[in-house]
Amino acid sequence: MSGREAILQRLRRHGAGDPAAVDAWAAAGPVGPRPRQGALDGPARIEHFIEKAKVADATVSRIAGVEALPAAMAAELRARNLPATLRTGSDPMLRALDWGSLDRSEGVGRVEEPATLSRAEFGLAETGTLALASGPDNPVTLTFLGETHFVALRTEDVKAGFEDFWAAWRERGLTPRTLNMVTGPSRSADIGQTLQLGAHGPVALHIFLID
Amino acid sequence: MTAHEPKSRFFKANVKAALADANIQHAMRSTGPNFVGKRAKARDAMPEFDALRDRARDVKNHVLANLPLYLERYEAKVRDAGGHVHWCETPDQANRKVLEICRRVNAKKVNKGKTMVSEETGLNDFLSENGITPVETDLGEYIIQLRGETPSHIIAPAVHVTVPEIDKLFRDTHTHLPRDRDLTELSSMLAEARTILRQKYFEAEVGVTGANMLIAETGQSVIVTNEGNGDLSQSLPRVHIVLATLEKIVPTLDDAATVLRVLARSATGQEMSVYTTFSSGPRRAEDPDGPEEYHVILLDNGRSNMVGSEFEEMLRCIRCGACMNHCPVYQAVGGHAYGWVYPGPMGAVLTPSLIGVEEGGQLPNASTFCGRCEEVCPMRIPLPRMMRSWRAKEFEKRLTPTAARYGLGVWAFFAARPGLYRAATRAAMAVLGRLGRAKGGFAALPLAGGWTAHRDFPAPEGGTFMAQWAAKRGGR
Amino acid sequence: MSPHPRRVALFVTCLVDMFRPSVGFAALKLLEDAGCVVEAPAAQTCCGQPAWNSGDRETSRRIARQVIESFEGYAHVVAPSGSCAATIVKDYPAMFADEPLWRARAEALAGRTHEIVSFLTDVLGVSRVDASCAATATYHDSCSGLRALGVKAQPRALLATVAGLTLSEMKDSEVCCGFGGTFCVKYPDISNKMVEDKAAHIEGAGADLVLAGDLGCLMNMAGKLSRTGKPVKARHVVEVLAGMTDTPAIGEGKP
Repeated sequence: MSGREAILQRLRRHGAGDPAAVDAWAAAGPVGPRPRQGALDGPARIEHFIEKAKVADATVSRIAGVEALPAAMAAELRARNLPATLRTGSDPMLRALDWGSLDRSEGVGRVEEPATLSRAEFGLAETGTLALASGPDNPVTLTFLGETHFVALRTEDVKAGFEDFWAAWRERGLTPRTLNMVTGPSRSADIGQTLQLGAHGPVALHIFLID
Repeated sequence: MTAHEPKSRFFKANVKAALADANIQHAMRSTGPNFVGKRAKARDAMPEFDALRDRARDVKNHVLANLPLYLERYEAKVRDAGGHVHWCETPDQANRKVLEICRRVNAKKVNKGKTMVSEETGLNDFLSENGITPVETDLGEYIIQLRGETPSHIIAPAVHVTVPEIDKLFRDTHTHLPRDRDLTELSSMLAEARTILRQKYFEAEVGVTGANMLIAETGQSVIVTNEGNGDLSQSLPRVHIVLATLEKIVPTLDDAATVLRVLARSATGQEMSVYTTFSSGPRRAEDPDGPEEYHVILLDNGRSNMVGSEFEEMLRCIRCGACMNHCPVYQAVGGHAYGWVYPGPMGAVLTPSLIGVEEGGQLPNASTFCGRCEEVCPMRIPLPRMMRSWRAKEFEKRLTPTAARYGLGVWAFFAARPGLYRAATRAAMAVLGRLGRAKGGFAALPLAGGWTAHRDFPAPEGGTFMAQWAAKRGGR
Repeated sequence: MSPHPRRVALFVTCLVDMFRPSVGFAALKLLEDAGCVVEAPAAQTCCGQPAWNSGDRETSRRIARQVIESFEGYAHVVAPSGSCAATIVKDYPAMFADEPLWRARAEALAGRTHEIVSFLTDVLGVSRVDASCAATATYHDSCSGLRALGVKAQPRALLATVAGLTLSEMKDSEVCCGFGGTFCVKYPDISNKMVEDKAAHIEGAGADLVLAGDLGCLMNMAGKLSRTGKPVKARHVVEVLAGMTDTPAIGEGKP
């Protein structure tokens, strides 16, 4: 008997399970308790997103329209004393912009990437979290190999909490290989139980919130 | 003996060593209160926290009641996404499956994200014995791998290691760097480890991670980390192997959200960990990065026997570590004293379940039943109840130490006979009371060496309450 | 309006019976002051917790049946111990999971059983006591009373009405003192570490008196304080609430 059959047989000694109950569970949708902090609307939702992202040590700037992104990007790089180079995916929204003198290259993350830019599908106001879908437009390695990780997010894509985030995610028909939920820059407390930012992933995370 | 061989039966000796170890004691003093305070703050900031714990419990109970169905549905979804599921009954089968995959792709190096299940199977030793180099990439795991140790905490594996020890370790190990380099700042140690591991991410052919959850609805595996090492370990190599046990299943994305809402708050006091990654299958045709192969090793290792037993509820555990952070016994001795993979209250229940009560039987006895673990468990697992169940199993199997069994028998004989009990206690307390009255207590007493080694034994006042009551009220 | 007199059975507990009868008499005074008619059924010995926690289920049930029989017929059963009361309230019903008749009797007893201080405040509505004690006291929350029965605010509320008493909270008052019944003799080294920490927190609170609702914890803490030469006395909380502090403290010699 295969390991699979042996395991399933042992489990079935205590009941094979109830297919109707399993189907009903999936059909019921989000019936768990909904935290108040994940149910905000309007400007309060955006304010909460920004506040929570900052609590998680991210920085946030709001820009008026996607056309303003290259200038804002250049200003951030200057302010952070970073070279005017940027690694991005082939996202059409980013491609369509005029990046001026910024040296933007497209592709996956390489061993040292001073600055990477990704695009988030959604934000979660509940916890200040970004949701990124991997794919040709958005290589997953850019999220982890950038020393400073920049993320562009449309204000209209900021969802209140998990419930409406999953609903919107399904509605957009997204089935990427990975969904990366990112809340602040990487960190570790493994040395001396002291929290330090920038463990293996980015040392800093900056969010451009696009109105 | 390798680091992974169980040493739980030496618990008492392990305890003595841990209590005498200044480094462990130093580390415990600083970490425990830190975790406790952060969790309390996160809980207080979330009015719905306890309701979410109830829901999380219900989600897992529903899964466990329908586990065979969910496993089959999950498996089908993984296959749909182009992944492979390998069912393994034993740690050895799981290790061999990893080796088989490594050999097929001619792998020399395996990068590992944090996986406690691989500690259960002893994967690192097994791979090394077979000529493959495993590299732990979680910073804490990296440190203890260099030290030839096992984790002492399930989410903070190197919590017992002090800063000077890491300083020396890095100088002894990273010998390509100048011996006299400045590592005074903690950030310089972190930067050094980051640089060294960054290179290693690009060298491994296979990446092994654990899974915090497996989602039946989508066939995704979920990892939750703060460092980003798990993601680099699973994104850069050609092959990603997920090592997970049966009970990691949750039905839907919404259920995953429920678990996430209680997980980080209970573990580190964060509202969300930094990286929560949902992965399904290998890279798609159009994907520029990600692994070309995606394997899930679904390990049983005793779980299927826990389903339907009095230990089933333990399978709700999401490995947050809150129980050990709040356990006064764990906080006194640290994780290594428990002698196997899982320490603290969850380990005290799991260890005898997974490797036998003969090896792990002391652990469920080493509890005062203070109840703090159950109080904080996000999945509402009745840990003290299950530790007591292990004690009952030991008693039935006559594994309880003879002296304790005999003492209990004598006490029970009297406790069940109120008349005799009354006479015996009255006589004994009269003697003890007379002897101890002047000083108020005893510095040594026969049969009470465990007590009087460390504290005085307060003398009884003399004369029992029941005798005095009978004298005053004429008895009833 | 004074509470209606009730017939209350005092479950003395084996430790109080043997080691500190004055706790029993303090409990008796508090109950009688609150208008109760109190009896101490003669057939009582121990609640059986040592057997239950050692995994000896058969002995536990034998003792529990005896306790259930002895304490039937009283409106309330009250114990000067959160730990023993919790055994009756929480564990007895679990012991008889497979015996419906005994389970019903166990549940009936569980529903009528209380830890003394919470009984005074929550059931009898006592909000103040007529007692005085010139001391700076710190209160240790014994685990079973705290987590199984929710005893936390009640003793503090009544202690606040004791004339001359200042209550100073210690760090980690909710953390176990390391007694744990047979734990303290099975694992003396760990127990010692825990009670060492507890003694340090008691001292850190600047208290000259440590109070708790369980004699086991008190004997453990008193024994440690005395061994290390700390001038802190230990008493059961009911001794202070009943104004009966003229006896030597726990482990204190008689002049």
